[in-house]
Amino acid sequence: MNGPSRSVVPPAGLVRSFDFPPVHADVLDNGLRIRSVQVGRLPIVTAMLVLDAGEGLLDGNRAGLAVLTGDCLEGGTAKRTGVELAEALETIGAGLSVGTGWDSTTVSLSCMADRLDDAMGLLAEVILQPAFPDDEVDRIRGQRLAAIHQREMDPVGIATTASRRLTYREGVPYGRPLGGTVESVGPFNADAAAGFVVAQYRPKGSGLVVVGDVDARQVRSLVETHFGEWTGGTGSRPEIDAEPRTRERGIVVVHRADAVQSEIRIGHVGQARSTPQYFALRVVNTVLGGAFTSRLNLNLREEHGFTYGVRSRFLVRRGAGPWCVSTAVGTDVTADAVHEAISEISTLVADGPTEEEVDAARDYLAGVFPLELETTGQIAARIAELLIYDLPDDYYADYRDRIRSVTLEEACEAARACIRPDEMTVVVGGDASEVQGPLEGLEWGPVTVEAAS
Amino acid sequence: MLSIPIERFTLDNGLRVNLSHDATTPVVAVNLWYGVGSRNEREGKTGFAHLFEHMMFQGSEHVPKNRHFELIERAGGSLNATTWFDRTNYFETVPSHHLELALWLESDRMGWMLPAMTQEKLDNQRDVVMNEKRQRYDNQPYGDWDEWIQAMVFPESHPYHHTVIGSMADIEAATLEDVAEFFQTYYVPNNAVLTVCGDFGRDEALDLIQRHFGEIARGEEIPAIPGDQNLDPIIGATVRERVEADVPLPRVLMAYRIPPYTDPGFYAADIAGSVLGTGRASRLYRSLVRERRVAKDVTSFVLPLTSGAGMLLAWATGFPEGDPCEIEDALAAEMEGLSSVTDQEIERAVALTETALVRQIEQVGQRADLVSMFDQLFDDPARLNGELERLRAVTPADVSAFVEGFLGAENRAVLTYVPVTKNTPTPSAP
Repeated sequence: MNGPSRSVVPPAGLVRSFDFPPVHADVLDNGLRIRSVQVGRLPIVTAMLVLDAGEGLLDGNRAGLAVLTGDCLEGGTAKRTGVELAEALETIGAGLSVGTGWDSTTVSLSCMADRLDDAMGLLAEVILQPAFPDDEVDRIRGQRLAAIHQREMDPVGIATTASRRLTYREGVPYGRPLGGTVESVGPFNADAAAGFVVAQYRPKGSGLVVVGDVDARQVRSLVETHFGEWTGGTGSRPEIDAEPRTRERGIVVVHRADAVQSEIRIGHVGQARSTPQYFALRVVNTVLGGAFTSRLNLNLREEHGFTYGVRSRFLVRRGAGPWCVSTAVGTDVTADAVHEAISEISTLVADGPTEEEVDAARDYLAGVFPLELETTGQIAARIAELLIYDLPDDYYADYRDRIRSVTLEEACEAARACIRPDEMTVVVGGDASEVQGPLEGLEWGPVTVEAAS
Repeated sequence: MLSIPIERFTLDNGLRVNLSHDATTPVVAVNLWYGVGSRNEREGKTGFAHLFEHMMFQGSEHVPKNRHFELIERAGGSLNATTWFDRTNYFETVPSHHLELALWLESDRMGWMLPAMTQEKLDNQRDVVMNEKRQRYDNQPYGDWDEWIQAMVFPESHPYHHTVIGSMADIEAATLEDVAEFFQTYYVPNNAVLTVCGDFGRDEALDLIQRHFGEIARGEEIPAIPGDQNLDPIIGATVRERVEADVPLPRVLMAYRIPPYTDPGFYAADIAGSVLGTGRASRLYRSLVRERRVAKDVTSFVLPLTSGAGMLLAWATGFPEGDPCEIEDALAAEMEGLSSVTDQEIERAVALTETALVRQIEQVGQRADLVSMFDQLFDDPARLNGELERLRAVTPADVSAFVEGFLGAENRAVLTYVPVTKNTPTPSAP
């Protein structure tokens, strides 16, 4: 091949079709929903139990209760001590992983397919018969308190915690750190964990997702065997009123003496998962800060060299989660970086993305969809999302079509409606003695300085 | 036993090519390992292999700056690269019908990178890399641990003495001539492995690879790694450093020289690392976190390096008022006590590794990376399929012998972080 022909971008080949794998839906008499997908390429299975037991259910006094209860599941069961439980799981190559978020607690494991019966038995034992021995609960509370201490001294933790607190009105769960505070975690004990399990770990409202080298009939039979005795009605689910703290501009510096970088967060209250503009917003966010070639990254990183990277995210939840732009930049360029970020955001909202950008973002989002569905764990997580947000079972069937059908007008409209530059709070975790003056020069509302905890 | 299909070819210019077919999902991974990493850097040039990796994304003769990212993202693909001690890897996963795009982009920068290099791009990426260093090392609690540990475990003459990110003074001093020389020396087909894994047509892929990579000229022989790779198998003493720093909690790190990945003795070390630190039934978690409660978390793993020695690392983070000496004693006791390892513990370690490995190869990108690794390090890509068997063959006696030989006080680097409270007042708002 010679020079000239190299200059031409190679044409795409024949498109291979991709469909989200068929999901088999079922339900036990006790209300537990079952979703299974057979993927037989490798002899592995992921089982993911989704519980309606997120931190968003809790008021501030009990902040961290869902996370701590999840952590304490490793403390043992009615039949096994914590050590025996870990040994039983690991002997079959299965690590139990507990993830607690604002909207759910998920308890999952992966194992080789021929060990699934044992693994499901252990999963059920952990959920249906958890023992919370005081000794283990004390240990886990101590570890959580130490983790909170770590977060309070970590540059990323400091900036993110402050940003969430300054985004929401006091009392909104999303304004506090997910794992709670020293005050709310302090009183946690075994009774609190057991009480939370009784209240929220219930078959109704939960779902068990099983993906891998196993068929729907086997899944049904295994779930019936191990989870059939589970009883209880639906847990509570209060609405979240995600009111903002302010609708005014402002800059808050959280002071860390001699910080070599500034951790920057810019944003305001964003959207709920149920927003009708979900797909348009994904397109808009990709253009702004959701890909390497986004406006923010090309400006702050590839043009100015201010940062290793910058991104923008709509964290969609049952209530309106935050919209947040985040980056870390050199101390000396902090105000310049904030200025560039604000001007990219403002320009995008004022003028909207271009046709070409919308086109590229649609192609990107539709194209990467199958890339994110290679593993049994990835597929299970996608299906869990449907259970958590009450989305229909066939939701992913036309997912790519819905991305591709976002129009330029819809993207412009979503940007205007969901990103409001005049309401943005800027949080800078960094050395106030260096950055305060230059930030004041930006005239982005009042600049306040706080001590880092 | 895994049975990943792998076909291997070598082009006339020396490029090693592996094809591994799997049509589960209509995606394909393109993965390149270049046999160059931080161990190839000479004095005064530390961090250059990584800076160079950044420059590989700044365009090539037929691909303008940012275009590589634009084209792959537009195609619905993902991409990145990483630099490590012994290698630098570049990878894309794309929908299958964009295989040629990924091959064209990778071949253009392998063959035609230099015409696109400018001082402006170099200045920009130096700034980006310096911000990467600040973000990931300087502004991170404990972020400088690898700098300390590598310097303690490997002598100054050894290529693992310095870190991958390198020194900022060296990064500042990098020139376009350095870029050209590095490219011509190391970024040659005879120093690279290309693996294509996923849903593709075999003959078509071979044809495309030949078409895009075939005309790139073979380079010179790769120069010897600078410094002295010969090492005593063990450090020969306990070396320790105590760092008072702005960290939230005390932390003790322990590091040991272990046999290199290319030595059969590595597998006992790997199993030892898992028995110590993988899972909640592992020895360190059970002893330090669950029972003695001197640590809030523990970690242990091995680094499979190839120049003279690898490393086994463990660390434990204490509680606010905790005594680091107590953590150190507990860690040391578990290391030495591991000579009593049981069959059940090895069985668990192998079972966990099996699940982890199968989960890893569920993704074509990860699978391609493993194939490239086994080719580059062992000249045998299919070695991937036997890796579990090599771990399964490890006996308690093997682990005991490893513990006796390597995990004692004569081969130990201890790095202790002690929190110091910075008492600096908040400047008052005017």
